[in-house]
Amino acid sequence: MKTAALNSEDLRSPMFWAVSASALTALVAGLGLLGFLIAESVPVFQRQGLSFLTGAEWFGPDEFGAWPMIYGSLATAFVASLFALPVALGSAVYTAEFLSPKPRLAVKAVMEYLAGVPGIVYGLLGMTLLAQWVRNVFDLIDGNSIFTAGLLLAIMILPTVTTLSEDALRAVPRRYRETAWSLGMNRVATAFCVSLPMALPGICGAVFLGVGRALGETVAVMLVIGGLDRVPVPWFNLFAPGQSIPSKLGREAAEALGGGYHWHALMTLGLVLFVLALCLSLAGRWFLTRQRSA
Amino acid sequence: MLRAFTLIACGLLIFVLSVAIIRGLPAIDLVFLTAESKNFGLEGGIFYQTLGTLILISGAAAVGLPIALGSALFQTEYLRRAPRLKKSFRVLMDALNSAPTIVFGLVGYLVFGAAFGVSWLTGAFILAVMILPTMQSSMVEAFEALPESYRETGQSLGLGRGAIIRSILLPQCFYGAATGLFLGLARAAGETAAILFTATTFSGVTIPESASDPATTLQTHIFTLAQEGLDPRAVENAWGAALVLLTLVFALLSAAIWVRSRLHWESAV
Repeated sequence: MKTAALNSEDLRSPMFWAVSASALTALVAGLGLLGFLIAESVPVFQRQGLSFLTGAEWFGPDEFGAWPMIYGSLATAFVASLFALPVALGSAVYTAEFLSPKPRLAVKAVMEYLAGVPGIVYGLLGMTLLAQWVRNVFDLIDGNSIFTAGLLLAIMILPTVTTLSEDALRAVPRRYRETAWSLGMNRVATAFCVSLPMALPGICGAVFLGVGRALGETVAVMLVIGGLDRVPVPWFNLFAPGQSIPSKLGREAAEALGGGYHWHALMTLGLVLFVLALCLSLAGRWFLTRQRSA
Repeated sequence: MLRAFTLIACGLLIFVLSVAIIRGLPAIDLVFLTAESKNFGLEGGIFYQTLGTLILISGAAAVGLPIALGSALFQTEYLRRAPRLKKSFRVLMDALNSAPTIVFGLVGYLVFGAAFGVSWLTGAFILAVMILPTMQSSMVEAFEALPESYRETGQSLGLGRGAIIRSILLPQCFYGAATGLFLGLARAAGETAAILFTATTFSGVTIPESASDPATTLQTHIFTLAQEGLDPRAVENAWGAALVLLTLVFALLSAAIWVRSRLHWESAV
């Protein structure tokens, strides 16, 4: 049955107006978020242009520099994906290719609960246990470091990456596996040489979404990253304390609340964070839909 | 090797739970659950913190649920013949979902804080926007999974779209909407950053009495105690509060998983 998108009957029904009003509210919320961030960042880019992004000193003479925070966010996200990826991929392959339906659903449920554990509980865990372990194992003066934050983030994004990669692997049609088996390949070879390559776009999507999530995590990172606005020397020394964008925002938002150049600088930092997370997430979604349509 | 990775991944849940229980249980007794906190959280309990979390998530659900439900219906029912628009709306929701929660706090303070200041209402509005995509996407999923024959039956009886929504979609997809609601509530209950400086203060808060009163919540209470760090009493009480919070969040998640399992239809004719 072919009908127009809307007909006159729709326009007279109160349901249509109620539903459209809430859709409009959602639309305003989404666009408003980005709009406000951009509008509040204008003064910063007007005054100092792109040197905001590259400045190494947050409280410069009369300028703000965000590079240490951007570095911290990227470095923690890198460490997180480094540690999360093998475990997540391994469990996804095992769950999708070797488990029968019931234990498979159990693994999925466990991942759902793990993803639901509040960030602050992970933060407490990181502070009381993980930071101590990192200090003892690597013989550091202080266990709070970029590395510790990255490790904690790896734990936090593990369920997201696992469950989405598993979905991607399950989406590979069964006939490909059956063809491989009929050619005499065993299950392990099939998993790695047939299913995994075919699910690659979906797995990339899963990793992108996971890293996007890691970038935005605030309180857990705040508790273990050390809170020092400096790029470590040398720059690859991840065992030094650092600062990520959200942890900086969490620390300083309360004192700058609502006005002044400091506040605008924080909003610009928020914009940078949102744009990073948005790119990762949109790229991730794009990969996931490509997987589905393949 | 692969099995070991899976065991590590699943073992994490057991690890997190057991640490929370081992560290948190000693702090919890009847007094802890029913008394107000004293001496900056070192003594007393978490009664008002628990209440504050419940107030905030209820407020967020009350504001967010109608918007999520409406926009999900708009997307699946009224944009059926406009796939382009439908896709754009979906991308927008994805974008909103990807926003770091602290960003919701910053912008939310500008928008809602201008009206109510640092208050529980500001927090409820911020959380409502934050959980909107979570609720909306699982509702869309449920509406889209409803077999087309249900809608066609309604049309053949001469029902308009509004009537189909009211008397077919909403009753049939009730469990789908409830799943979205519980997932959203669980997400709101676990959120700290967005309400840290917009809705809560640490001490001296009981029940908010007006729209401009701040609240105190389990999440922010744990955070402040954790920052104290050095005092073992603070850390013990933080774990006690964490165990209560974890129980609340897992109860909401279990509710979501349970109602989702009840969502099924007679196979399409």
